[in-house]
Amino acid sequence: MLIKDVVCPFCGCLCDDLDVEVENGRIIRVDNACTLGSKTMVGDDRLKAPIRRDGKGWIETTYDAAIEEAAQILLDADRPLLYGWSRTHGEAQGIGVHLAELIGGVVDNTSTVCHGPSILAIQEVGHPGCTLGQVKNRADLIIYWGCNPIDAHPRHMSRYTTYATGFFVKDAHRDRKVIVVDTRRNESADVATEFVQVEPGGDYAVLSALRAIVRGRGDVVPPSVSGVSREQLVRVAEMCKNAKFGAIFFGLGLTMTAGKNKNVRNAIELTDELNRHTKFIISPMRGHGNVYGTNEVFTWITGYPYAVDFSRGIAFYNPGETTAIDILRRGECDACLVVASDPAAHFPKPCVEHLARIPVVQIDPHPNATTHICRLQIPGSVAGIDAAGTAYRMDGVPIRLKAIIETGVPNDTEILQRLYNRVREAKGE
Amino acid sequence: MRVILEAKVRKKPFLPIEAESIIPRNFLKGTDLAVYEGNKERKLVDLFRISVEGTAVTPEKIEVVLKGDTSRVKRIGEYMDAGKITISGDVGMHCGNFMSGGDIEILGNADAWLGREMRGGYILCHGNAGHYCASGYRGEKTGMQGGRVEVLGNAGDYCAEYLTGGEVHIHGSCGDMAGVEMKGGQFIIDGDATRPCGNMKDGTCMIFGTVRQMLPTFERIGTKKLPDRKVTVTVYKGDVANRGKGIMMVKGTGRSDE
Repeated sequence: MLIKDVVCPFCGCLCDDLDVEVENGRIIRVDNACTLGSKTMVGDDRLKAPIRRDGKGWIETTYDAAIEEAAQILLDADRPLLYGWSRTHGEAQGIGVHLAELIGGVVDNTSTVCHGPSILAIQEVGHPGCTLGQVKNRADLIIYWGCNPIDAHPRHMSRYTTYATGFFVKDAHRDRKVIVVDTRRNESADVATEFVQVEPGGDYAVLSALRAIVRGRGDVVPPSVSGVSREQLVRVAEMCKNAKFGAIFFGLGLTMTAGKNKNVRNAIELTDELNRHTKFIISPMRGHGNVYGTNEVFTWITGYPYAVDFSRGIAFYNPGETTAIDILRRGECDACLVVASDPAAHFPKPCVEHLARIPVVQIDPHPNATTHICRLQIPGSVAGIDAAGTAYRMDGVPIRLKAIIETGVPNDTEILQRLYNRVREAKGE
Repeated sequence: MRVILEAKVRKKPFLPIEAESIIPRNFLKGTDLAVYEGNKERKLVDLFRISVEGTAVTPEKIEVVLKGDTSRVKRIGEYMDAGKITISGDVGMHCGNFMSGGDIEILGNADAWLGREMRGGYILCHGNAGHYCASGYRGEKTGMQGGRVEVLGNAGDYCAEYLTGGEVHIHGSCGDMAGVEMKGGQFIIDGDATRPCGNMKDGTCMIFGTVRQMLPTFERIGTKKLPDRKVTVTVYKGDVANRGKGIMMVKGTGRSDE
């Protein structure tokens, strides 16, 4: 059976034009997707049932027993951390936030290690953004700053920018100019009109210099800024000012290098400055399929997009203090629930060492690096494959993920709702 | 009156304690105060051995002395308005938040957000201070507005971010982006600084050590002799990217490429 217009749940692009062929409850072929998307859909290797450690090794257990044990671990904790959320649907994320409030825990999502600093910058100076549809139909200048879409978001260029024909951009490949800014020449730079190579850690200075040039104070800028010549900066500033509609897309090259949120803030303020001359927007290249959704869900429930601490009963937010990395590095938390993420594979070593010392429960369909340090793993279904739900694209557009096969595995919403109900019952509420 | 609080040894020593109730004024009514340990509310006496010497009728006459391991005790001196707090060891985050009067003396190191959004009073830290010393809160456009913060050691990144009023004096060096978004006040760094005063709008920053990665958007406007320091400094105005009118003084001749 061929299913058309399937949404790929892998990255923040949430491409919604996949053709998927299903046979006997298995996905056998995926068309239109990139390699990352195809691999997500086909050859999905799942855990069959909940597993727990019994001292010597792993034993299979039932969902009921696993949820009971998870509830006890969370109830016993003085500072539980609930981390992950970005690969599941919004409905499950909502229950996760309510669970954190119920047990007085800290709830954090993967933005903490990707675009968290972008959100801090947006909270300082706002976000001049738009949807990807606007970019596709109008933008004649694209800047990719500190990101490599060809590797990380392979269909971004063909669906929205360089190779996408838009309503006002008929001959995209000729009409659109592309500027790539990075510390090294990446694959995306090969298709760029202009490549700006910045010394590592030099983005802030280059952005400051561009702001000064755009507002006519190029005279103070020295001949070379972080490895970029003044001539090139002036040329880039002119290209920006002469564009009809410019769009800056930025990645972890800005958010996770020295300066972090201040780099992003500077980029937003450059966008602001350019809007005195023409139309310009800026947007983050979000990683996980539904990471934008976690920010939306967290914000509409708690007022804050990530790193929310409920230990005093009310929501407190202070990245650097209530973020998962900082809590783990300081050894603060005494239990952890990981949902739809793999911190053991991505977090710094001292954080993973602390995770290995405390009881960790993981709700994830796949055996992964975190499996090696957790006490209990409960597999749920995968949003976009055998579970339906809402996800948010990187530009904030909600898209419904379809369940394209039936596996009988409970989805994350059901598992978390049962866990929530059990904890609530034990607390006598 | 002296209130001595000695931290008891805890089973989970890394669990943070939030103790905004530890300000001199609160001890006028006794020592029955609440603090939070993780997600549990505790009595002050559960976590500290308390001894009180003498009596007082005004908070100005009260000194609170903290002993033992207080490195995970957050928010000590939050909203403090009078009296004195002495911490004999290290102190946790947010010490002296929103403080408007009185003195805090820390004999060890201070964790992040020391004197955050401070309005008055004096904080002296004998050791090092963490990140965001004397700064603002996330998304807040006004940082420290008054008072004085003095750190005898080094400070971490984003020291004096959004400084709006008052004085910050770091005797050692600062980390990355000291004085970023400064809007007023006076900021003195005796040691080194990296990328200081980005996006500065107003205020004065003096750096007597080495400036690393000087930002390209500061306009050199001359030199000045500082007789009390016996040095000549190069004076910059900026941040030009931000139409800023801030003044940054750097010891020596400044940027090497000029």
